[in-house]
Amino acid sequence: MTGAKVGLEVRGLTKRFSPQVTVGPLSFEVMEGEFFSLLGPSGCGKTTTLRCIAGFEEPSEGSILLGGQRLDGRPPHRRDVGLVFQTYALFPHLTVFDNIAFGLRLRKFSKAEIERRVSRMLELVDLPNLSERYPAQLSGGQQQRVAIARSLVLEPSLLLFDEPLSNLDLKLRVQMRYELRDLQKRLGKTAVYVTHDQTEALALSDRIGVLSQGRIEQIGTPSEIYEWPASAFVADFIGSSNLLKARVRSAGTGADTAMETEHGLVLTVPRVADLSGGTVTLLLRPERFQMATAGNGDTSAANRFTARVRDVTYLGEDLHLRVLASERQPLLVSIKNSKGTRAIVPGDAIDLAIDPEDIHVLLR
Amino acid sequence: MQRRPHSRYWALFVGPYGAYLLVFLVLPFVNVALLSVYLHSPTKIAVEEFTATNYAKLWEVYYATLFLRTLRLSLVVTVVCAVLGYPVAYFLARSTSRIMTLGLFLLIMPLLVSTVIRVFGWLVILGSEGLVNQGLRLLGAREGMRLLHTEGAVIIGLTQQTMPFMVLPIMAAIERISPSLEEAARNLGATWGQMFVRTILPLSMPGLVSGSLLVFSVSMSAFVTPALMGGRRERMVGQQIYEEVLTAYNWPGAASLTIVLSVLVLGLVSLALWATGRRARLEISR
Repeated sequence: MTGAKVGLEVRGLTKRFSPQVTVGPLSFEVMEGEFFSLLGPSGCGKTTTLRCIAGFEEPSEGSILLGGQRLDGRPPHRRDVGLVFQTYALFPHLTVFDNIAFGLRLRKFSKAEIERRVSRMLELVDLPNLSERYPAQLSGGQQQRVAIARSLVLEPSLLLFDEPLSNLDLKLRVQMRYELRDLQKRLGKTAVYVTHDQTEALALSDRIGVLSQGRIEQIGTPSEIYEWPASAFVADFIGSSNLLKARVRSAGTGADTAMETEHGLVLTVPRVADLSGGTVTLLLRPERFQMATAGNGDTSAANRFTARVRDVTYLGEDLHLRVLASERQPLLVSIKNSKGTRAIVPGDAIDLAIDPEDIHVLLR
Repeated sequence: MQRRPHSRYWALFVGPYGAYLLVFLVLPFVNVALLSVYLHSPTKIAVEEFTATNYAKLWEVYYATLFLRTLRLSLVVTVVCAVLGYPVAYFLARSTSRIMTLGLFLLIMPLLVSTVIRVFGWLVILGSEGLVNQGLRLLGAREGMRLLHTEGAVIIGLTQQTMPFMVLPIMAAIERISPSLEEAARNLGATWGQMFVRTILPLSMPGLVSGSLLVFSVSMSAFVTPALMGGRRERMVGQQIYEEVLTAYNWPGAASLTIVLSVLVLGLVSLALWATGRRARLEISR
C-alpha cells in the first residue's frame, strides 16, 4: 500500500437477479496502489461485483466511487477502468499492435505517439517482436500479456482482473502470477483481482475479501485470512484444514480450555471469551502437527496423542497422512518428507502433538 | 490430418449425389450451352448449325437494358435486405435461446409457403383495391396509388422472400463472436457505435458476404415475383427466358440468355468470394 488514500470504494453494492439470486450488499475499500482480491467459489458474486465496477451490470442498490467520483450510471467507455478478461477477449481480426493501439486510436492520439506507447508497452510485457502477429498465432501466456498490455497502455486509474490466469497451465500460471504482481507493484496501479484459486489470491494480494453466497465473509491480509479465519467457510476455503465440531469439557481456571470433539479427541485450546453456545468448530491446519517421537522428551506439550495411520500420500516435499486419533477422530496431517517420516506405512501408530496456540476456535 | 484415411473413400460419400448432379444438372446445362450456339428456326425450334447470332443479339438495347435492370434490382434488394436484416440478425444472435428459436421459426416460416402463394398475399395487400389503398382512402386520399406492377413492388416482394438468406448467415457469424469482445471494446473506451464498427462489423463480414451473395443470386434468377408483381414492360431476365421458351419458341435465344445470366452470377459470386477469402487468408497467414 503506497498511501492511506482510498482508490476504490464500494458501498452497499447490491445486484438482484431474481428474488432468490442476489449479490450483496457488499462494502469494501481498496487503497491506492493496493492489490485487492475477491476470492470465492463460483456463483459467490465476485464476477458480478467486477462487472458492476466495469459498468457491464447496473447495480440494484449502492454506489461505487473511484478516486472519490461516483462511477455508477456512467457508461462503460467513460469509467477509466481497465478490465482483463478470463478469455483475454483479444480482437482476432487485429494484430498485436492494433489490439494494443485500439484504445489509443479511440482517444485520437497521434500516429507517432501511438507507435511510441505501444512499443514501450510491448517491451514492458516482454513481447517486443510479436507486434505484427495475430492473436491466433500466440500462445495462451502471450495472449494474456497482450490483453494486459492493451489495458495498461491507457493508464487507467483502476485495473480489474477477471480470473485472468485460469486458462493457463499450472507452470505458466505460477510464472504469470509473479509477473503480474511485479508489474502491478512497479506501476503502482490499484487492482481488483477476481479468482476462485486461493493459492493465487494468497500469493498476489495485499488484502483479500472472501465471498460466499453474495456476502463478504472476511476481509484481511493473506496471513490474517489464513491464520485467523473468521468462519468455518473461510477456514475450509483457504488451504486444507481439519474442521472439528467440539464442545467444552471443562472451562478451566487458567488460560486454557479443554474441549472434546464429537469423535472423542480431547484438546486443549486457548481460552475463548464467548462460549455461550457450547459447540464450536476447531480449526487445525494439517501442517501444524508435530511428530512426537520417542526420543523427544517434550512431555510438557499439552495436546499429545497417539494416532493410527490409515494411508499415506507421497507428495515429494510433504507427506499427507490420513490418521485416526484416539481411535475415532479422523485427521489430515501434513509432515515434511524426511528419513524418519518416509518409513511410515499404513497401520503404524504414531505420536502426534499440536500446540494449543495452533488450534483456532471458530464461533461460526 | 486425422481425416486423411477417409479421403481415400471420398467417392463413396460424394459419389451418389455427384452422379445425380451430373445427370440432372451438368448434362442438361451442357445441352443448354450447345443449344445457345445453334441456329433458331421458327419451325424446328433449333437447327444444329453453329452460330453466334443468339449472343450478338444480346447487345441490342432491349436485352442490355434487361440485364442492367435485373442487376440493378438485385443489387437494390441485396442492399435493402442487408440494411433491414443485419439488426434482426444481431438481435437474434444476442438473444436468449428461447427468443432465438421463436425468431428463427418466424423467419423461416415464409419459406415453407410456395412463392406463388406468397406473391398472391402481396397482391391482396398492394393491389388497387388492396389493404394499403383502402387504408389510404380511409385517411382521405381521393385516388389509390399504383403500387402493384411497379419496380417497387418487385423489390418489396423479393426482399421479403430472400430475407432469411440474409439473416441466417449473418446471425451465425455474429453468434460466433464472443460478447466479451464487445465488452472489451467498450472497456477500452469505445461507444456502442465505435465498438460495432470496429469489432462486430468486420468480424461478421463473412456472414454478410455469404448472405448478400445468396440474396443476390436468388434475386438475379427470380421469375415468379417479377412476373406477377412487376410491370409488363420492366421485365427481369427470368421472365424473358420464360417468354422465349414458351411464347416465342426461340429456345436458342432462351439458352443464350440462360448462359449469360449464369456466367454473370457465377462470375460476380466468385469475384466476391475471392476478394473476401483473400482478405481472410491475409489476416491468418501473416
